[in-house]
Formats: sequence, C-alpha cells, structure tokens
Amino acid sequence: MPETPVFLTVLGMIVLACPVLMTIILGVPSLLGLKLREERATALVFMTTVVGLLASLAILGSMLIKDLQYVPIELGNWVVIEGPENHNLYHFSVKLVFDRLSVPFVILSFVLSGTVGAFASKYMHQERGFNRFFTLYAIFVLGMVVTSLAGTIETLFTGWELVGLSSALLVAFFQDRPAPARNALWVWVIYRFSDAALILAAVAMHHLRGEGDFAKMLGTGFWPEEYSSIEPRQALVVGFLLLFAAMGKSALVPFSGWLPRAMEGPTPSSAVFYGALSVHLGAFLLLRVSPLIDRSPTLSAAIVIVGSLTALFAYLAGSVQTDIKSALCFASLSQVGIIVTEIGFGLRYIALIHILGHATLRTLQFVRAPTLLHDYHTLENAIGKHLPHAGAPMGRLGPRRQAVWLYRFAMERGYLDSALKAYIVGPFLRFFRHCDALERRWTDYLAGGVSRESDQVKPHFGTIEELT
Amino acid sequence: MEDSVSQETATSNRDRGGHAGHSEHLHKVIHHAAHLLPAQGPITVFIHHNTLHAFEDLPFSEAVKKGANIFGCQPYLTEDRYREALARGRIRFDTLQVVLQRDLGSTAFEPIPCFGTRQELRLSMLEYPLRTGPTEELIWYVSETNALKKVRAEASSAMRSKLIAETHRWVLRDLRSGYDPTLNGSVRRTKATRPVSESLSELLDRFGESTIEDWTDDDWEGFALQALWRVCCDGVRNLPPYTSPPEPPLRHRDLLLEATGEDSDAPVHDLLIRFCAAFLDQGLAHWALPGRERGFYQAFCSLYRQPGPPPERWMRGLGIELARLQDERVGPVESIEESLRILGVSEVEWGEYISSTFLALRGWGGMIHQLEMRGDRAAMPVAEGSLAEFLAVRLILDRFSLAHAAKEVLNYTGPLSELRIAACVGVGSPWPPSVEQRAFVVFQLAQLRALSPDNFHKLTAPEWELLVSEIERFSALERRRIFHLAYEQRFTTQTLDAISLHAKTTAGRPATPRFQLVCCLDEREESFRRHLEELAPSVETFGAAGFYSIAMYYRGAADANFVPLCPFVIRPQHWVTEEVGDAFGDSDRRRKFSRRALGTASYGFHVGTRSFALGALLTGAVGVLASVPLVARILFPRLTAQTRSLFGRIVQTPPATRLHLERLEEPAGQVGGHIGFSVDEMTALGERLLRDMGLTSGFSRLLILLGHGSNSLNNPHDSAHNCGACGGGEGGPNARAMAQILNDKRVREGLDARGLHIPGDTLVVGGYHNTCNETVTFHDLDRIPGSHLADFESARRAIEIVCSRNAHERCRRFMSAPLTLSYSGAREHVEERSEDLAQTRPEFGHATNAITIVGRREWSRGLFLDRRAFLTSYDPTLDDENVSILTRILQAVFPVCAGISLEYYFSHVDNTGFGCGTKLPHNIAALLGVMDGAASDLRTGLPWQMVEIHEPMRSLFVIETTPEKMTGIMDKNAGIGRLCRNGWIQLALIDPITKDVSQYRDGTFERYRPQSDFIPKAASSVDWYRGWRDHLEFAEIES
Repeated sequence: MPETPVFLTVLGMIVLACPVLMTIILGVPSLLGLKLREERATALVFMTTVVGLLASLAILGSMLIKDLQYVPIELGNWVVIEGPENHNLYHFSVKLVFDRLSVPFVILSFVLSGTVGAFASKYMHQERGFNRFFTLYAIFVLGMVVTSLAGTIETLFTGWELVGLSSALLVAFFQDRPAPARNALWVWVIYRFSDAALILAAVAMHHLRGEGDFAKMLGTGFWPEEYSSIEPRQALVVGFLLLFAAMGKSALVPFSGWLPRAMEGPTPSSAVFYGALSVHLGAFLLLRVSPLIDRSPTLSAAIVIVGSLTALFAYLAGSVQTDIKSALCFASLSQVGIIVTEIGFGLRYIALIHILGHATLRTLQFVRAPTLLHDYHTLENAIGKHLPHAGAPMGRLGPRRQAVWLYRFAMERGYLDSALKAYIVGPFLRFFRHCDALERRWTDYLAGGVSRESDQVKPHFGTIEELT
Repeated sequence: MEDSVSQETATSNRDRGGHAGHSEHLHKVIHHAAHLLPAQGPITVFIHHNTLHAFEDLPFSEAVKKGANIFGCQPYLTEDRYREALARGRIRFDTLQVVLQRDLGSTAFEPIPCFGTRQELRLSMLEYPLRTGPTEELIWYVSETNALKKVRAEASSAMRSKLIAETHRWVLRDLRSGYDPTLNGSVRRTKATRPVSESLSELLDRFGESTIEDWTDDDWEGFALQALWRVCCDGVRNLPPYTSPPEPPLRHRDLLLEATGEDSDAPVHDLLIRFCAAFLDQGLAHWALPGRERGFYQAFCSLYRQPGPPPERWMRGLGIELARLQDERVGPVESIEESLRILGVSEVEWGEYISSTFLALRGWGGMIHQLEMRGDRAAMPVAEGSLAEFLAVRLILDRFSLAHAAKEVLNYTGPLSELRIAACVGVGSPWPPSVEQRAFVVFQLAQLRALSPDNFHKLTAPEWELLVSEIERFSALERRRIFHLAYEQRFTTQTLDAISLHAKTTAGRPATPRFQLVCCLDEREESFRRHLEELAPSVETFGAAGFYSIAMYYRGAADANFVPLCPFVIRPQHWVTEEVGDAFGDSDRRRKFSRRALGTASYGFHVGTRSFALGALLTGAVGVLASVPLVARILFPRLTAQTRSLFGRIVQTPPATRLHLERLEEPAGQVGGHIGFSVDEMTALGERLLRDMGLTSGFSRLLILLGHGSNSLNNPHDSAHNCGACGGGEGGPNARAMAQILNDKRVREGLDARGLHIPGDTLVVGGYHNTCNETVTFHDLDRIPGSHLADFESARRAIEIVCSRNAHERCRRFMSAPLTLSYSGAREHVEERSEDLAQTRPEFGHATNAITIVGRREWSRGLFLDRRAFLTSYDPTLDDENVSILTRILQAVFPVCAGISLEYYFSHVDNTGFGCGTKLPHNIAALLGVMDGAASDLRTGLPWQMVEIHEPMRSLFVIETTPEKMTGIMDKNAGIGRLCRNGWIQLALIDPITKDVSQYRDGTFERYRPQSDFIPKAASSVDWYRGWRDHLEFAEIES
C-alpha cells in the first residue's frame, strides 16, 4: 500500500479538524453557560465549513492529479489489548480513508450543511435556541464527516452516534411543546435499535477478522472495485446486522414511521438532516460494505426487497400527504428506497450519483417549503388556470373498495407505527411495568408501608400566570 | 351502491319527524358553538380581525377574562413583562397610582389592617413580584432555602434594618417572658395584648431566649422572619376561602388528564388532523380523498369501516361501529345525539360541552366552518353541514379513545356516561388554597413593607379576614388588568399631549402644492408621507382606505384568476381586467405561450420529483444541478433575484398594458363588454374618494395615488403584509383604476356638474408602493402628456429619495441591519430581505400600530409618529350636518384598524394561544394554513416574528369632530358604538375649530388637559431616530 504523502495527511487532518473546532468553540462555552454572539457563531460556522470544503476539494484535486484511489490517514490505535505472542487481541483504531466513495460524500456534506448553516443563521435569528441549534448542528456536521471518512467500523460508529444524537435533539428542538419531545423520543428509540445492530456488527467483524478495518475486512482493491474474501456465511451474518443498522438510519420499511415525525424541528434542520443527509447514511453504510454484499446473494436479495418495498410504500404514503414537509419527506424516502435497491443490485456508481443528486435537490425543495403557496400562485398565473390536480394513478380508481383500502393504508402510513407499537413497544412496556410493580412490592414490604412518597404529589405544570 | 346509501341516509334524516325538535335544538347549539372557532380563512388571503370578535358585546376587560377562560389563553401580558416595563420606565409608578385610584374610585382609601389603605396595599402588590406555588413547593422553599433566614432581596437595606429593629423592640418589650432585674428573679409575663402563641414561644426557646442579648444581627433577621412566617400561618389558618372554586372541566378528557395525566385527545387528534387535512386539501396531495364529495362523515365512515390490518389498540371496534352507523343510516346529527347520550352529557350541558369539544381542535374546526360559510374564497369549498359532521366523527373517536384510556390508566370498564364521576375521584383540586399558600403572600408583603411580626400578631380574627380577603381578591389577573391600563395610559398621555400641543401650531394646507400624493391610510405609509413632506415641504399628502373606493374583482394580464380587491366585508359587483395593447399583441401571445410552457414544465418537474420512477430519473440525472440555485439563492439572494428578473423579463407581459375599466354592456360581468364600470359609476366613485379625503379644491398639477402591497419569499403569511383595505390583496390596480377614472374627461364633466371641479391641467397618476422592498412603480406612464413630463420626473425623483429614506427608517427596527447603514445601504438591505429565502422577518407589517387618526393632515403634519398611526384624511368643514362623510369613513376605518390592532394585541399577549407561535417549524398544510412541525392543529393568528416588536395596546382613535356628532355616529352604527362603548378601542376627539382634545371615558367625553407643555424638536426625522432601535417618543420635525 502506498505511503500517504504528508501534504495529503495535513489536508485530511484539516478536513477533520474543522468540524471538531466548530463543535468545541460552539459547545464548550454552552456548557459553561456562556453564549457566543450570533454574528460570531455565524462567522465561525462559515469559516470552518469553507476551510473544510476547500481542504476536501484539494484532496479530490490531488487524488485526481496523482491518480490516487485510496488515501488512508491513520490516527493510531486508541485502545490495544495485547494477546499472546504479540498478537493484538483487540484494538480500537481510528483511521480516515479518502477514496472514491468518501470524498464525494464528504464534499456533499460540507456543501449542504454549509449552505443550510448560512440559511439557518438568518432563519434562526433572535431565536432563543440559536446557540443550541448551532451546537447541535456542529455535532451533526462532525458526525457526518467522521462517518463519511471512517476507515474502520469503530470510527464509523463514532460518527454514526454523533449524527443520531444531534438529530434526535434537533427534532426535540422546540422543547416547550409535547409533540416534538414525543416524536424525538420515537426517533431516538429507532436510532438506538439501529445503533445496537451496528455495534453488534462491529463485534462480529472483530471476531471474524480480529479488527474493524474496512480495508482488511473487505479485501483487496479499492472502492468500488474491492473484492472481499470473506465467506458468504460470515458475510450474511455481518451483512444482516449492517442492513438492520441501515434500515433504522435510512427509515427503511418497517422503520419508516420516524421520518415524518422528524419534521418537528426548525425548517433548516429538517431540510438538511432528514431530507438530505442523514437519511442517506444507511445507504452510505451499505455502499461502504458493498463488497461484502456481493459475497452473499441472499443478502443482496434482502437488500433489494427492503429497498423496493420502501420505495413503493413511500410512494403510496407520499401521494396522500397533505402537508408539504411530510410530502417531501416521503418523496425523499421513496428515492432512498430506490437507491438501496440499486445497491442491492450492485450498481454502486449509480447509487452514489443518485445520492448526490437527490440530496442536493431535496435540500433546495425543503428550504423552499414555506414558499409553496407563493410558488403555486406563480405557477397558476403562468399556466393560466387553477393547477391541474396532480393525479396519482391510484386516484383514478375512484371510490372502489380496493382503492379505499389502499388509501387508508397510505394514510395510516402502512400501519407501520401501529404495528411497532402493538408488537414491540407494548410487550416491552408491559414487561418493565411488571418489573416496576415487583420492585414496588418489595420496597413497600421492606419499608413496611408506602415506599414512594413522590407518588402522592401530583405533577405540577407550573401555572405561570393564573387566569382567575 | 354506497352512494345510494348515503343519499338515503340524508333523506331519512329529514323524514324522521320524532327527532326533529331535538336535532333542531342540536343544530342551534352547534351553530352557536361555532362562533367561538377562529374566523381565519385560507392563509393566502389573510384578513385581520378581532380575535375575540365573539365577545365584542362585552366590555373589554370582561371579554378578555371570559375569553381567557374559554380558550385557555392569556388576556394580558405576564406580570413579569409589565414589571419589567415598570423597571425601565415604560410604565411610570405615578401612572400606576392614578390608574389604580381611578379604578377603585371612592373605595381607594378604605383602611386595611397593617397596610394603610386599600390603594396602598394594592400598590405594594403591584410593585414587587409575589411568588407562589404548590403547597409542597412552598414547604420545601421555606425549609430548604434562605427564605426564613434572609429578607427578600427586593427590600432595601433600610427596610431590612427597620424590620429587625421593630422585631427587636417587640420581642424585648412585649413578647419576652424574660427576667426583670428589679423583681429579684421572679418571672413576669409581659403586658402583651394577646397571649403569646405556642409556636412563638417555641421559637423563642429555639433561638435561645436566655442569650437574647448576644443575638447577632443575622440571628435577629432569622428570628424576625421565622416569627413572621409563624404569625402569618397562624393568622390565616382558619380563614374561609375567598375565591370561588374553579369549575371542574366538562370534557371527560380534561378530567381524565387532570386525574391521571393521560391525554385521550392525543390519538384522536393524530388521526383527525390527518383526515381533516385530507378532506380540506386544496390540491397539495397527489391522491385526493376518495368519496370526499359525499361529505366528511360519509367519507370517514367508508374509509374507516374497512377491516384493516393491525389497528391501533384504541381503535378496536371502530370499524364495526362505523359500519353499523352507515348500514343503519344513522346521520351525523343523530350520531352526535347518540354519542352525547353514551357519554352521559345531559341536554343542559350540550352547549358548553360542544364548544369545548370544538375548541380542542379549533384550527381545523374553524377552517371547516370558514370553508362551508365562504366557499367563494377557496378553490375547493366544502358542503354546508360539514362542521356538524366533523363533530359527529370527533365524538365517535372520543368515545373509543376515552374507553381505551380509562381502561388503561384507571382500570375502568364501566359505561362512559359515568366515567366523569370515576375520574373526579383522582382529581386533586388546587382549591381551596392551603395555609402555606395564603400565608406566603402575606409573609412576602410584610417583608417588602418592613412590617414586623407584632403588627400581625396583634390582628384579630376579623382583621385577618379583611386583610386576606383583600389580598386574595386582588388576584394576579386583576393586577395584570391594572398594569395594562397603566401601560396604555402612559402612551395615551404621550400621544394626546403631543397632538394637543402640535395641532395648535398648524400652518394650514400648502398654498400651491408642487404635487399631491395619496397613500393608503396604513400606518406604514406614515413615515413615507412624513419623509416626503420633509423633503419637499410644498407637497401635500392624503390618506384614504387603500382600495380607493373601487370594489372590484381584478385579473392582471399575467394572472390566472380574478381576485377581490376591496375590504373583506364587501362583495364586489364589478370585474376589471388588465389587457395588453394591440401594438404588443403578437409579442404578448408569444410571451404568454412561453410562460405557459415554462410553467407547465416546472409544475411537471415539481410533481415529478415527488413521484416514483420519474423522480429517480430527475433526481439522479439533474439533481446535482440544484446545487447552483441552492447556493446562489441562500448566499446571494439579492444578486440571484436580479438575475432571475433579468431572465424573467423575457416572458413578462409587455410594459404597455391597459385597464379594461369602462363597461359597454349591462349588466356587470366577467367577460367582454360586461367588464368594468359605467361612466356614471366611475363619476360616483371619483366623487366619493375626493370628498372623503377632503380634496375638493386646491388641486396641484400632479396628483399621485399609490396602492400598496408586499412581496416576500418563504413566508406563508405573505398576504398579511398586503393592503388590509384590499382584503389582503395588492392595491396597485385600485390606484391605477382610480387615476384612470379621474383623468377621464367625461368623469370630470360629471364631477363639474356635481360641484367638484378638477382643473384641466391636473394630471392623475396611479402607482404601487411595495412596502417590503421599498419600491414605487407607476402605471400608464405612456399616457403622461408632454406638458406634465417635467412635473412627473421631479415627483418621481423625490419619491425615489423618499423610498430610500423610508427604508432607512424601517431598518432601525431590524436587529440584523446595522444602525450605521446609509440610505442606499438601507434600500439594498430591504431589497435583499424581500428576496431572501431564509428571512423570517421580511418586514414588520402592522407591528407597533397604536393610533388611528381621522382628520385633516395639517394638524398632524410635522409630527414624528414613529410609523404607529393610521392616517385617514377627512375634512370636517366639508361634511354635512349628518356627518355622512365621516360616518362612511368610520364604517371602513373601525373594522379595519380595530381589527388589525386587536389581532396584533392578542397574537402578542399569547402568541402560542391566540397567535400561531414561532414561524420556524411551520409547515403548510392543505394549502390552507400552517401547522407546527409534523402534525398539529391548524395555527391561526400571527406568528411571533411578525408581532415581537409590537406593544399590545388598544388602538387610540383620534377623530376630528365634535362629541355630539361622534355620539350620533356611535348611536346609529351598532358596530362602531360597541367598539367604543365596550372599550375595545380608546377614543379621543379633536375639535375642528379650537383643536381642543377630549377623551371618551365611562360614557362621556371629558376635556383632555395636557400633562406637559412642550414636545421635543428635531431638525429632521433621521436626526430623531438615528441610533435608536426601540419605540421612540413623539417629536416635532422642524422643516
């Protein structure tokens, strides 16, 4: 493997340092209770994004000029557990990789989040949560960059978690209303499930290969011409776990319910996070491990099925949505489904191009969402009459029984959330409530009376101003 | 087959005579309850109206109280906000005193134990924040914090010393069972008026009475506070409650929520919001609700009677129930009755139960109601009776959700009719207030007034009763009412002072005006007119309702549909179109064709990206290209807009168009010769406008009429910035039409015959003022004769300068615009704002409006009114004895200006309740309104970004007429009378001759005596406002 030239290492470090710096400068004062002035925060976001973007463009340029396909930057092993005979029993290595997959993705992240950052700096002007928004935004950008550049599964997991955390907190941005908190919790729980799958996959990879480096795991060659030597059976186990992780993150069936719920945050965060970037992360993960997928036809088939089901479902659900943000997010989802299907079929370049195009276009549509009425009016005037009802083909079925059934299916969003609630959440809750009751019996018994005084005090919602 | 079923259901409903009486009553109840729903129609045509319109027949303070209770919204600002205003001098303490005394009248000086008079007690309660909380919190607070160790921080150190010293004296003299050295060791009880209570002697023991001489200051402070707390607790212990208990909620859901914290509305709303949006959708979804034409109820039943895959648990059995309703042909009203019976709601409760049920999802319910009433305002209206059907569905869902929730959290499976009784058991009432809660208020007040414990120790039981009842009757709501009066009073005084002083220095109309300018009465035009008058002192300006008395449906050359341009209350009877002149016919057809092709293509693209295969193709193939407009529009909005308009010019209508204004055939209609007005009608309209404004003589060579509107991006509330007098439309065409009318030779002849002579060399030009990007465009310039070109050019140059200056004055309120901007910089700034996708405050609209002036401009000219006054021109000397001109002016001004003022008031005082909250998570639903985030009730009212700089006050009307005439108008016009007499506005009159001001208060006009004798002066507006962000005081501009 060729040595990485020093200047590329430096550039790579700059790419990573920019979001890290942004996170620290925005985040640390917040922890100390200080607040950056709006202009300073904006300038910081602008500077770090532009520098990061330029550095990644420079890397792209030099890779093209020098015809490099793979530029790894090792940041060393952060944890090493030595085994017998100087053989590493376990090691946690942090490694960045610039290749044909990660470079476009990191550039996309910088362009989109930078633009949306500029948008948000005006949109969020004088909002009480301005600082909080940008701190979470910085964490998100950091997460995106780390995930895109990750060379080992541990590194990827770090970025993956940062993205998940900041996304969930941004969904709950408006904390004083119950709906955002409730929906953010939903998002968070789904994310945790997919995170659990990812970490299991990491463990499995370590077990199989002794380390989590994608390059060693996935075999020889550079993306997308890698060829994995892993056994199909092993590939199937790891692959399924990764697919599960991707399903949660990309809102594939049956986890699709969280995506429309994520529209609770301010418009720019919905735009870049759920419409454009983070919803593609699952697809990105599958792309990253695509050699593995090739090894197992079963896995490929499963991916194709999940992808196409999602695309179909999202198209159906999307065509009955009556609010612009839900309509756009189902439209997004439909495309993500198609992208995943493409990956299942092994069309890596097409999938990558599809991701890039789709993310950009959808961001533009999302940030323009509030101007919909204005646009419709302009279009009406141009066309010269009321807009034709954009008929989905199902609409022509009329009020037939099957059509009504299908409409309800779409309107109830495929009953996916109800099913999760009834068959997963319900039993889960019942189990823990049962445990709670047991615990209470014991504490009551031990205390010789009622053991939880706090139960007697009603929650107080703080009547800030009485109305009498 | 189902179609026939539903029709039969409808007929069978009418046939069932037995139920007729019941259902008629129910219909009435529903109709009545519907009045409480928000009256906001589709957001594309935003009409400002009084949010509490339903209560206008009550006095303001009662109405807001009632509204607060019914809607669960705040009637005034919070006490903290008022106190903050008190701290920074916006409310003055002496004003507070005056207001309080006026409010209390003769009872102000009734003695109250310990606190002097009632007025003094109330003032103390207003001056300092009084904290309270649930009993548990208070107990925690007094035992775990410094509350019983340190005197409250608001009390000065002198107060603290006084409290300690008096306690000291009291303990040593009266309380202490100490040793008297003269009595040789024998114990002597003090000559206390009352026996010392156990708790006090226990306290003395605890502090160590024997070492009392060694107590430090801190010990004394602690002792004083502890004693005070104990005395207060003892004092209030056995008092009866003085407030009436809160009414238990009527809805099962509210009771259940209070008892268990379980919200049974949540799942119902989740479903209902989706269904309402689908039912009302004006074309956003690509697949419309099947069976929509059969009405809300039938569509719902058909959709949800299906045996579905795993339904939500609470919906089990819903399908069977709906199938039963449909198959047994139970109509919506019968179903409501049935549901109410099942829920155990007796007939006396119907009204309140139904209105509170409506209010649970008021936005969507209100929109259904609006669309069934004013179907002409939407592309897809809904059938009458939809609101009742909505209620029927909602009650069915409520039943299922309640049963489920009751079983889950209460383990209750009995009949729903008894659920309320079962739930009541768990409700912990905050009433009556606990000993701690009552004592804590007295405890705080005592510290703030440095009243030592002995004062309270001495009180007898009846005195305690008097004191506590007095304190508790001056509740938080009452305090806020007083604060609010003082808040308004201060501004009223400033305004009336300024007007009284300034009006007397009037110079009269300019003798030979260079040109005359007529603007809308809108308060945003105040600064525009002022700057013009400063720049060109020889110019005369007028204000009139911006539809220029032309009520019409208008369609521009590039518009698809007719839009009404007139106040909302008028339904236009005339149609006007803009047409392209023959010379440009060909090019216009070409442009129209390309416009249509482009429009169809971009609509296709818009729809395509949301579809399946086409979406994949589009996003994959050309998606990356979207990065160009994305980056450009966000980072360089102004430049992008300029480039876009450059390209846009290719397909725009040619510059030379004509209004088709003259009707050739009767009757008035939408096509061909039926379009327009007859010459007689035009003459009448022209006469009306000129007489209304008092412009019947002294015409200059050039008369300019400006309509106004606003244009901004990414702003669903765009139309709320447009001309209110044009019903939320852009008023340019009205000004243009009126100019064309007044230029018409035949009209002038007609006017001559009616005694109104417009000189032959007077030219009228119409224009349009965009209040967002601050540009003025003129119409029909090709018709300006050579003789007037020079006049027009010089006027245009002046107006250009005024646009920049006006932009400059506006920029001082935008926090993101530096105060150091130059005129041209300010102009660029506002231009960018209007084109910026990310801008949530393209302009502030009517925010800060506070005054409505109806009268001659002479006496308000030269006064810096800070863009806060609606200015309507009216000349009382030209009016007849019956004041018919003033009457018709006020008939338009009152609903428009009071509506705007009150909508801003309520949207500001409770932005989440009456307004629509922050714009940031808004999500356009069904093309009709906005929701918060993923799904919520439809939000009505104004967003925070529009009202944040507003000062919520009732508009102060200053009308140039006499009390007798105004009283006559109030008597003859119920609407105006109601608003004045019930105090929804404040009213003052200025005498046409003496210029004395009188104020309307408690049913009579009183002479107003100015409280100051001078107004600050400034050389120019910019000198006065430069460097200030906040509201400014009035000033005279010397020019």
